[in-house]
Amino acid sequence: MTRASDTAKLLGAGGSILGSLDVGGGQIGGRRNIVINGAMGVAQRSASVTGLGDGDEGYVTLDRFRHTAAASAGRFTSAQTAISDLPGFLNCLHLDCTTADTSIAATELLVLEHRIEGQDLQQLKKGTSSAESITVSFYMKTNAEFVFMCVLNDFDNNRVNPQKFTTTTGWTRHSITFVGDTTGTINDDNALSLSVSIYLHAGSNFTGGTYAANTWQSRASSDNMIAPGIGSFYSSTDNDVKLTGLQMEVGSVATPFEHRSFGEELALCERYYEEGDMSVRSSVNTVARLAVQYRVEKRATPTFLVYYDSNKTTDGVVNRGNSELTGCAESATANFGNWEKNTGGNTDSADFAWYWTASAEL
Amino acid sequence: MLFNKTDEIKSVKKYDWGTYWNYQVTPKDGGNPKGVPNDPANIDCQMILEWVAEGNTIEDAD
Repeated sequence: MTRASDTAKLLGAGGSILGSLDVGGGQIGGRRNIVINGAMGVAQRSASVTGLGDGDEGYVTLDRFRHTAAASAGRFTSAQTAISDLPGFLNCLHLDCTTADTSIAATELLVLEHRIEGQDLQQLKKGTSSAESITVSFYMKTNAEFVFMCVLNDFDNNRVNPQKFTTTTGWTRHSITFVGDTTGTINDDNALSLSVSIYLHAGSNFTGGTYAANTWQSRASSDNMIAPGIGSFYSSTDNDVKLTGLQMEVGSVATPFEHRSFGEELALCERYYEEGDMSVRSSVNTVARLAVQYRVEKRATPTFLVYYDSNKTTDGVVNRGNSELTGCAESATANFGNWEKNTGGNTDSADFAWYWTASAEL
Repeated sequence: MLFNKTDEIKSVKKYDWGTYWNYQVTPKDGGNPKGVPNDPANIDCQMILEWVAEGNTIEDAD
């Protein structure tokens, strides 16, 4: 797991690059990291959300990081937390258990998931005789030692590959290499094809099977081979998990984390989610229809919602002359979001303002 | 994602935008109708299609 030997192979005196332009079968240049927002710098929706755990929470704080859950009695807070004890990284995704759950039902589940489009994964050559190894690396710190599972999940072919890892109370860089999969090609499209998942809590539906490390296997009718033997994030309210520096790359070597600028990461995130505000003065009375162009074209037609203000308390409501205007309809294309109020009077020369979100997440 | 499960959906109605239409989905929790595109690549649209596959019907636009 140490990277010192790998570094020695790659770098000569003064850090010059030696040998071939190839790192463990992967590329040495830029854009090694397939993961977006791996340094946890972008959190458009919110910096912190409490009381999670009662359903499939989806995307709530850090962009591109999905909280995939089946309802549990356990509750947690998800937050973008500043860190100062890991040089080179200033933020992490922080999960804090606020209500414990030690009576684990079969269906319970809590997974941190990063989902990726198929067209961004063709370099893996999955499903061919030339299938590449894939290396996932990340920094994790927990309040106590836990065994969790890192899983590659191929949604196109219903195949998974799980690997356990053990956390520590200090920041540890975990490096996990998955063998190439010669079965099941990945679709070349904008749909969900593969996820990098970290299983933090699971009931017997996911733990009752036999653990086969670093083996691609069919999910078939059961998911019980995904997380055998893992610990539980919900075991105590003392528990917290901090994650940053997530990287997934082609090849068998975890190269140093590829830092990208905030602007680059934000733009990459905005392909999946974007929010902003807008105001306008309307001179029509009976029908108001207004559109906003997103900064970045979306992966697919997003779900477009309007709100009174940036608190995003109630959707379908906009600000008309500092009063709530209800009864709005919303629609979208991959480039524009629209809202319309076509019933009742809208008052000539009314000032409208609204906050909007556009989500085309996987 | 607007809904965790299909049983959170009360009703779905098409909304005519002139050159195209989308879905306006009313949740059971009493919230406002929410606009969802008729794009199967959208995860909220996927939930509506699942809701329809369970035997529910989408209302036509006014």
